[in-house]
Amino acid sequence: MTGLVLKDLKKRFGGTQVIRGVDLTIEDGEFTVFVGPSGCGKSTLLRMIAGLEDITSGELYIGNRLMNDVQAAKRGVAMVFQSYALYPHLNVRDNMGFGLKVRKVPVAERERRVKEAAATLKLDALLHRYPRELSGGQRQRVAIGRAIVGNPDVFLFDEPLSNLDAELRVHMRSEIASLHKRLSTTMVYVTHDQIEAMTLADKIVVLRDGLIEQVGSPRELYERPGNLFVAQFIGSPKMNILPAASTRLLAPSSTPPASAESVGVRPEHLVVVEPSDNVLRGSIALNEYTGAVTLLHVELPDGSTCLVVHDGKDLPAFGSEIGLMADPQNLHFFDRNEVAAKNRSG
Amino acid sequence: MTQRQIRIIYRTCWTLALLIVAIPFVFPFLWMVSAGFKSVTEIFGAPSLIPRVWRFQNFVEVFTYQPFARQYFNSIYIALAVTAATLVISSLAGYALARMRFAGAGLLMLFLVSALMVPEEVTIIPNFFLIKWMGLMDTHWPLILLPTFGPHGVMATFLMRQYFLALPKELEEAGRMDGLSRLGIWWRIALPMSRPALAAVAIITFLFSWNLFLEPLIFLSSLEMFTLPLALSNFTDTYGLPLWNLQLAATTLAVVPILIVYLIAQRQIIESFALSGVKG
Amino acid sequence: MTETALQQTTARPKDAPWLSLKYREMLEAWLFISPTLIGFLIFFLGPLVAVVYYSMTEWNLLTQQATFVGLDNFHDALFVNPDFWHVVRNSVIFALGLVPLNMALALTLALALSRPFFGVVFFRTVFFAPVITSAIAWAIVWKFLLQGEAGAVNQMLAWIGIDGPNWLREPNWAMAAVIVTRVIKMVGLNMILYIAALQAIPRDYEEAARLEGASRWQIFRMIIWPLLAPTTLVIMVITTIGSFKVFDHIYQMTGGGPENGTLVLAYYIYQQGFEFFDVGYASALAMIMFIIVMVLTVVQVTVRRRGMQ
Repeated sequence: MTGLVLKDLKKRFGGTQVIRGVDLTIEDGEFTVFVGPSGCGKSTLLRMIAGLEDITSGELYIGNRLMNDVQAAKRGVAMVFQSYALYPHLNVRDNMGFGLKVRKVPVAERERRVKEAAATLKLDALLHRYPRELSGGQRQRVAIGRAIVGNPDVFLFDEPLSNLDAELRVHMRSEIASLHKRLSTTMVYVTHDQIEAMTLADKIVVLRDGLIEQVGSPRELYERPGNLFVAQFIGSPKMNILPAASTRLLAPSSTPPASAESVGVRPEHLVVVEPSDNVLRGSIALNEYTGAVTLLHVELPDGSTCLVVHDGKDLPAFGSEIGLMADPQNLHFFDRNEVAAKNRSG
Repeated sequence: MTQRQIRIIYRTCWTLALLIVAIPFVFPFLWMVSAGFKSVTEIFGAPSLIPRVWRFQNFVEVFTYQPFARQYFNSIYIALAVTAATLVISSLAGYALARMRFAGAGLLMLFLVSALMVPEEVTIIPNFFLIKWMGLMDTHWPLILLPTFGPHGVMATFLMRQYFLALPKELEEAGRMDGLSRLGIWWRIALPMSRPALAAVAIITFLFSWNLFLEPLIFLSSLEMFTLPLALSNFTDTYGLPLWNLQLAATTLAVVPILIVYLIAQRQIIESFALSGVKG
Repeated sequence: MTETALQQTTARPKDAPWLSLKYREMLEAWLFISPTLIGFLIFFLGPLVAVVYYSMTEWNLLTQQATFVGLDNFHDALFVNPDFWHVVRNSVIFALGLVPLNMALALTLALALSRPFFGVVFFRTVFFAPVITSAIAWAIVWKFLLQGEAGAVNQMLAWIGIDGPNWLREPNWAMAAVIVTRVIKMVGLNMILYIAALQAIPRDYEEAARLEGASRWQIFRMIIWPLLAPTTLVIMVITTIGSFKVFDHIYQMTGGGPENGTLVLAYYIYQQGFEFFDVGYASALAMIMFIIVMVLTVVQVTVRRRGMQ
């Protein structure tokens, strides 16, 4: 059983508090993604789990063992670095086998495990190459292979795809997903890309300013964001936030909670209708054609802009007046403190 | 005249000027070698680079007048020892200063930087009594210890630190994840990636020790312990007058091998000095 | 899951190290540095402190041991002993002659050799060769070349009708000879530093200036020279301090003579300390040298700071 438990973890660099008290439980075999804007502390948190940063206060358990003062190499974790961190003076085979060599694993065993990992990752033909002779995608695979050969209890990924071009990123993303299916090892993955987070994660942890904003499955975060920040961070394009008063026009049948201050609705949940006094009116300020869908920038009477995802049939012309409506169950209400407002009915 | 012709003339003038400037840089070496083969009377005859009579005997007498072979060996092994010690010690300290967080690092840096500028002449008197107190007079120990730990060693430390700072940090973190100790990271990751800096430190240190003069002059007294520069300045007769031809033959023997290595590896050697100077 | 974890939180695991990771790193860092640090304390900082004390004692062949005399040695040097000011004068002349000559020649050579052309490697190799040569060897050879009538330099001068002086026998000529031969020995080092700096200047600047019609001299004066300023300052510090340290070269070439005409500070310290065994006085001289070097450094660093603002 190698779940992780983080109890009130804190990290201070000099005078600045980077992690300000994180409590989190990660189950065995779970794929957890830390996501958040840059500077939110997600990488620091991962490095604290890895043992690359010492823990200022709080407790870290991996597989029920207190790890605060255990050296990185003895925590049973392996890490895939953003820059891959392949040793330039060693070839692929030696890069992958390096950790085993350091741990004094017998040569035969070492060879077997490197071969196995190389086969899994289709690196067989590259074992004698040096890192400088590999493409970005190949380096990435070697970095993952190096993590695999150690048979770690937990895999840690620090933005592993950010140095790849768009196409390769999609490809490696699916490879990592299938790797997780095959190994079903606990994995913790850091990214700032919410699409990566949504597609890979069993559980997403949204961080901001060193604190957890919300923890949940991708679906939970998308459908029931706990606060305004999560609501706007998860999902692309961003959720529209309107004054709660707009609810009457958007979905007349909906009854907002009493504490609701604002209402959020995702661009893909807005429906274009004929303009009338009983719907939310606006005019088309810009149409962005992306192929599958068209993104409408609608200027509302109060001057703010609202995004609408449109399927492209009967596209309203630039400058034309339109009306907007939404299904009541697709509305998200937030109170004065930007926290999700609850209906008493639930 | 065309642009092209003007450029050719311009180039030619520059090259000629450079050739003339080069004379005082080259001529002493050529004259040294040639005079090494001459008799005393011929050295002060009409200057000619080719001896009228080749006096090979000079090179034999060099070895009989002083224990020159022994002195040559002293210089080589001391330079190697200083180089080895400096490489290890400066790369260890340079690594810690570049990569490790510890209380007092700033103050330590300040201390070491200030040492860079202080001439050896300032501390040589107390060092003389220190070495005497340690019972190491007329041994090679001071010639190994003082250069290794003096300003030159500090310079090497900063050179290494500068190089380590530029290495990607994630490689070392990967090493930590792989189970290497700090010493292991230093030895198996940081050092293999720092070959250019290590080569630079080795080259500069070897030459520094090889050419050292003040310390041998002060600490050594018996001929068998002498190093080359001291031995060279010691080719004098009983009245203190130079034994011209022997001195030049010995100087030739001391300088030419280094010069040959320099001609082969001039690029690497010049770059090493550039590296040390840029940071100093 | 959470609860099982919580139950097992209490005790420290058996294999936890005896030091926290943070302190462990600190300890390791000090271990890495300790060889350098210990050597530094014993052979540099200790002696530096000692020399301060020595400089305030009377300690010579007669006294045989150190007696505290306060600032007497400094008083002797500054107000009593006529040699001291003569030596300072020599050192200053040496520095004033060597530094500008060295830097001007280094920059000229660097400008000529910073771009590839046929023979550039040859010239760089030639101009740098004396740098790696032992100062003693260099001085030995030049001492021969500069002998009175029979020396090669004067014989060559005679070909073009110049009656050369007896270089090393006349104080002023001896000083000039020492300066020039030292410049030839060391100029290669500054040359390569300048070459490195010149090659680091992007070609774009020069090309842009040329399109705007700037002449070669204007390009140098208004673009290259200002961009070289930090390098020039570093070279100036190194060269000036280096000029105060020169010992072996003068020891071998003139022995400080003739008539103490080339007796500079470094040599004077050696002479007083190790030939006349006047430890207290020599230590005071060493202190003065230390102060001179520190003042030079501080002045030049301050100039640099101001230049950057």
